[in-house]
Amino acid sequence: MSELIRLENLVKIYDTGSLRVLGLDKINLTINRGEFVAIMGHSGSGKSTLMNILGCLDTPTLGKYYLDGVDVAGMSPNELSRIRNRKIGFVFQSFNLISRMTILKNVEVPLTYARVRPSERRKRALELLDLVGLSARVDHQPNELSGGQRQRVAIARALANDPPLILADEPTGNLDSQASIEIMELFARLHRDGATVVVVTHEENIAAYTHRIITFNDGRLIGDRINETPTEISEADAGLGRRMS
Amino acid sequence: MLLENMKMALSALRANKMRSFLTMLGIIIGIGSVIAITSVGDTMRKMFSDIYQDVGVTQGYISIGYWIEEVRDSDYFTMDDMETYKEVFGDKLAYVDSGSSVTGEIATDITKKNFYFYGIDYNYIDVQPVNIVYGRYLNEADVLARKPNCVIDRASAEELYGSAAAAVGRTFRITVYGNVTEFNIIGVFEKEQSAFTALMTGSSANGEAYIPWTLLTWPNDRIYQCHFFADPDMTAEELAQFNEEFAAYVARTKNRQPEDFYVITAQSEMSTVDSMLSGVSAAVAGIAAISLLVGGIGIMNIMLVSVTERTREIGTRKALGATTRDIMIQFLTESAVLSAIGGIIGIALAATLVSILGALFSLPVVIKPFVVLMAVGFSAVVGIFFGIYPAKKAAERDPIIALRYE
Repeated sequence: MSELIRLENLVKIYDTGSLRVLGLDKINLTINRGEFVAIMGHSGSGKSTLMNILGCLDTPTLGKYYLDGVDVAGMSPNELSRIRNRKIGFVFQSFNLISRMTILKNVEVPLTYARVRPSERRKRALELLDLVGLSARVDHQPNELSGGQRQRVAIARALANDPPLILADEPTGNLDSQASIEIMELFARLHRDGATVVVVTHEENIAAYTHRIITFNDGRLIGDRINETPTEISEADAGLGRRMS
Repeated sequence: MLLENMKMALSALRANKMRSFLTMLGIIIGIGSVIAITSVGDTMRKMFSDIYQDVGVTQGYISIGYWIEEVRDSDYFTMDDMETYKEVFGDKLAYVDSGSSVTGEIATDITKKNFYFYGIDYNYIDVQPVNIVYGRYLNEADVLARKPNCVIDRASAEELYGSAAAAVGRTFRITVYGNVTEFNIIGVFEKEQSAFTALMTGSSANGEAYIPWTLLTWPNDRIYQCHFFADPDMTAEELAQFNEEFAAYVARTKNRQPEDFYVITAQSEMSTVDSMLSGVSAAVAGIAAISLLVGGIGIMNIMLVSVTERTREIGTRKALGATTRDIMIQFLTESAVLSAIGGIIGIALAATLVSILGALFSLPVVIKPFVVLMAVGFSAVVGIFFGIYPAKKAAERDPIIALRYE
């Protein structure tokens, strides 16, 4: 298995003028392609800071971050935009769909910034919405859908440019337990089909779906263990999309 | 990409219809008033230029200055002077007369009417074209022999005699320079004139008649002023040069300086009126442009609100790969589209308003395409200019903070 993420002595210091806060303290971490990883910790543990850096939304103060073999630690904001567009698929706690656009258009957004032609974009977005079982709803606005459905749109959007890394920040935080199961099973299937998925969560039962659990406390990496018995997912031989709709 | 940004902008504006409309209102009023005012100004300029065209743009008067205290006999004009000018200037000087007229009353069994009797040469018709609807125009023989023949305007002929045909052959008496003279009506004419001239002169209570100019110089043949028309085919530059040369020649032959003569030409009058009107309309349009500025500030204000409201959207777009430039262009397009639509509505409104005004006063309205293009362009520029600051603010949002924004 090849390396997708490598952090070397990564340090993040927040300088608020009068106060300097150590956000991350010398983190060394490697995540390979095809892994399904949970990053756990309480609020203030540094997991959100790590998530921002892994997602190229923020840059480390010191140390190196290799994503897909490229050191992104010193990149400019616009270079980072490009990296996010091509290499990372984000799934957020509060979905962050654009409310006045149809879900089809929402899925097209990353493709637009990748300068994909409109006809191509539409085709790809339709495929992805089919994959997450929402092909019947392509012309709906996000507020016409349930939370679980919205998160599935967000996952389709995250997959748009076929990025090597799916980064989910508390993806079930705003969902009921049934929808949470659906979403985690969707991630598990994506993983089974070869995707690298990193989920940031503070919930044990969510982390239980993953195969590797990394724990943070006070800005330090305090635990990194293999989950020998990930939560079983229901069979989906009939195909991902159809079962979920 | 541009087209898509525009679609995106339209959908964002549609999402807040009332707000978008109110924001546009500033631009609508601004552009509308600028267009309406320049159009009224252009219509008036066209009106004056049409009137001058009808009156004869190449005409002028020259006389010894009213400020000259000791006027010599030679400062007046003689008929020989006039002949000399024609010989010296040839085709360039299309027409000369004394520019004299008298007033008088023609009374018939039906009614009576006051007239202006203009003294003209037989070729006046070449420089001031009229249609002869009945009878004939004055000819060279009439002028040379100082015959008391007369052509009158059609409306007056119909009023006084019932018809143009009935007028021809009639006689009337008026007093010319103290002598009672009997005139024969030999023809009836009708003027060709623009809508503007008709509007301005249509309600004149006096009739118009032409008589030989030689009648109005006699008996002492001392003519106070020279009324002339230059060749109507001259360009504006040629005309200006001719006017100058002619005045200089007159002064030289009378042993005077050119500035001792009082010269009025239609061309200089016209340019005075024109520059006055364009000055006034530029000033008023300038004031109207201030409302455009206010409209622009309105756009900036609402775009700032919109940027704040859509902080999450901006954060999301950035997370999904939008560059600073992408966000900047998105918001700039939005403000430009907002203000361009406002501009287009403003133009439509102004065009409607001006056309209604034109119809009310039965004037042909002038709306220059150039002005319209300028206005659309300008409103888009206003939108872009006042959109830059909010767009920059949007584009520079830190995605982490923007994503967390509630």
